Amino acid sequence: MAKTNLLILNRHYNHSITLLEQKISNNTSYHDVIKKQIEKKRIQKIEDMKLNHQAYLFSIESKTLSKEAYLEFFSQKEIETLNTWDYWKKRELAQTKHRMIFNDESKKDSAESTYQKKLETLRIKYDTKKVRIDQKYTISLSNETIKAYLNTYPIEKARLEKELNDYIETLNKQDVIKIEQQYKEIHRKNELLEAKLVLLKAKKNALGLTADIEMDDQVILRLDKLRMQFGGLVAVDDLSFDVKKGEIFGLIGPNGAGKTTVFNCITQFYKSNGGVMSYRDKNNDVVNLNHYQVHDVIKLGIVRTFQNVELIWELSILDNLLIASHTLYQSNFFGHLMHTSKFRREEEILKAKALKILTDLGLLAYKDFYPLGLPYGTLKLIELARTLMTNPKLIILDEPAAGLNDLESDKLAQTIKKIQKEYDCTIFLVEHDMGLVMKLCDTICAISFGKKLAIGTPKEIQSNPVVQEAYLGGE
Amino acid sequence: MTKTMMIKHKNKLMQKIKSFSKHPFFGIFIAAFLMVFVQIFGNLGIIKPSVVDILANMWIYMVVGLGFTLLLGYAGLASLGTAGFIGVGSYVIAYFLGTLGAPYFIAFIIGILLAIVLGTVVGFISLRIEGMYLAIITLGLSEILVEFFKFATPITKGLMGFQIDRFQILGMVLRENQVYYILVFFLILTMIAVVNIVDSPTGRAMLSIKNSTSAAQAMGISVLKYRLLTFVIATVLAVIGGMLYMSYNRSTSPDLWSIALSLNILVAIVIGGAKSIWGVGLGTFVIFGFDQLVLKRIEFFQTFGNASYILNGVLIIVVVMFYPGGLIRLFKDLSYHFKRLTHKYKTVWKEYRYGKDEPSHS
Repeated sequence: MAKTNLLILNRHYNHSITLLEQKISNNTSYHDVIKKQIEKKRIQKIEDMKLNHQAYLFSIESKTLSKEAYLEFFSQKEIETLNTWDYWKKRELAQTKHRMIFNDESKKDSAESTYQKKLETLRIKYDTKKVRIDQKYTISLSNETIKAYLNTYPIEKARLEKELNDYIETLNKQDVIKIEQQYKEIHRKNELLEAKLVLLKAKKNALGLTADIEMDDQVILRLDKLRMQFGGLVAVDDLSFDVKKGEIFGLIGPNGAGKTTVFNCITQFYKSNGGVMSYRDKNNDVVNLNHYQVHDVIKLGIVRTFQNVELIWELSILDNLLIASHTLYQSNFFGHLMHTSKFRREEEILKAKALKILTDLGLLAYKDFYPLGLPYGTLKLIELARTLMTNPKLIILDEPAAGLNDLESDKLAQTIKKIQKEYDCTIFLVEHDMGLVMKLCDTICAISFGKKLAIGTPKEIQSNPVVQEAYLGGE
Repeated sequence: MTKTMMIKHKNKLMQKIKSFSKHPFFGIFIAAFLMVFVQIFGNLGIIKPSVVDILANMWIYMVVGLGFTLLLGYAGLASLGTAGFIGVGSYVIAYFLGTLGAPYFIAFIIGILLAIVLGTVVGFISLRIEGMYLAIITLGLSEILVEFFKFATPITKGLMGFQIDRFQILGMVLRENQVYYILVFFLILTMIAVVNIVDSPTGRAMLSIKNSTSAAQAMGISVLKYRLLTFVIATVLAVIGGMLYMSYNRSTSPDLWSIALSLNILVAIVIGGAKSIWGVGLGTFVIFGFDQLVLKRIEFFQTFGNASYILNGVLIIVVVMFYPGGLIRLFKDLSYHFKRLTHKYKTVWKEYRYGKDEPSHS
């Protein structure tokens, strides 16, 4: 076969391999999602059960306690009215007595005696009434049904508690079985997919394709005589360097040295005028980046951030992260239109992933916020978090610390180190803050007017006279 | 005692209804019921047939407007060619049903295919040109279509317009008040589709292209694909709107599909709110219904007929100046302020009733 056909076949295999790997990882992460959902459902069921029990117990309680309170309230009220009646009657009697004495001094004794008599009859009346009230309410208080309810209440409570415990146990058992079933099913699916994957890899190896570009195993990105011209202006002039796997590589240079242009060339925002950019992709194949379009570069595992924060202002932070995972969706437009179960499952998996990344970087509190109005340092961190959504191999940071204060840039440096360690990726950055660069980077390349000045460890760069001249000006 | 008093017995059905009331489709279902009841009341004679007629035309323009929100609110592309596309839809139905006597479904499918072709053409143009210039180009396309309607007399019957005397589906002749249900059906379908698209990677991709093209590209979103897709969706919905217009009104003429209608739809969406389906409903009501349903009933506007246009103009200016997010924002703000006020008076009342600075138990 001709070489081009082989290349096309290889690319096709690579594409299907990434799709399969994505499916397998989706399946495994879906297991966790399902587990969480089952647990959530169980807790909801138990809560419902508890509520039902409480409602039942309350119905018993209300039949006893509330009646007691009710009776007490009404007996008190009747006694109160009785007392006031008594008070006004007594007052009336006293007034008539005083009037009689005022009219005629001689009738003082007879008035006193009639007053006493009437008072006596009033007391008798009051007593009979009070006794009647007491009788009325004590009878209903000693109602037998209430007593029965009072007796059944603790028994019922104990019974319900036992029932609840049994229910929780059975639910647990059921859920364990359910989770196991799910796990088995996912495992079975994954086995099938893995068999396919092995087949595909064998096919790919059988092609016997050797890359045009020879590259060391340790190198992830190699620029070879990269050239970028804007009309007569040469922004990048035959620049070549290697970025090794797993290191933090810094690109420095004075203003207008063409650093951002290099980035734009790598991510294909600009098409370079000359030179080769070779990159080791996820399948360990060496590819020429010039053959890819801007929106395909992320599929190779290269993600970038921007100099001025380029977040989507009309979407929440969580949705911003989901934007970055756009290439991971395997459902098509009709899936999105109908919200099919496949699409919803994917959405759940990716949301869980985004939440995990946010918690890792300590940004979970902002998940429902809109970017507008958040501090600049947080926005930069969110942009960093966004790059992690696609499991990148190479992260390109364009001036991550620009516009940050010392505290924020310290935090940023910590997170960059953390990302490099935990997410196992190479970081390639441009920065003006020399303190940060010297502290962070393993290798530094200094350029000026698109030409390489020096490359080496931070100490070597600091003591290099050519770099000093470019930064501070020659004599 | 007090704690157990607080717990209410939860009914499962009520719970389900409550959980559904938070679902975005809840409002759509209620709207569907209301729309159907409008026609039922119209049949019973409680609502005048003229009012039902105005409302039906409103639903048609709402279908078109829903497509236009995706274009303007989500993908950030302005188009002034909407009226032309609606016209295409109406003439497709007119030609295939009126002249050829073809079944309705075939006419419908051909209309959608035509819409896809037109949408792709405009979408390709939109890659090179943006903003005002894109609007002007789409306007030009629309004018070309209108000229076609005027002078391709064998197909469109020219300036006099095209009337079909009856509307048939599956051999059944449907009257206006029966076609109304078809309009409602399509409106509900488009509402659900738009809500679904917005809450999916496609909608997010559209928004990201509007906000920052370079970020979208770096995240693996193909600008070409999504601009084409939005234009195709918008044109398909516009053409469907035209086909529904023809099915309901059974007459079309070139002067209906002038730039004025395109501008009206644009204004309706800007007034209502470009990022919400209820905003579209509100905007179409203000532009296509408010005038005839409310203003024409007031005596002042009956005597000075054109005053209603002035009022509409003032309304547009006021909304664009003070509520750039659309009138739907007004309702959100009002509910927010109402909640704040009630909260404030509740606290004042509590202080008056129970005294100040009483430490709470919880």
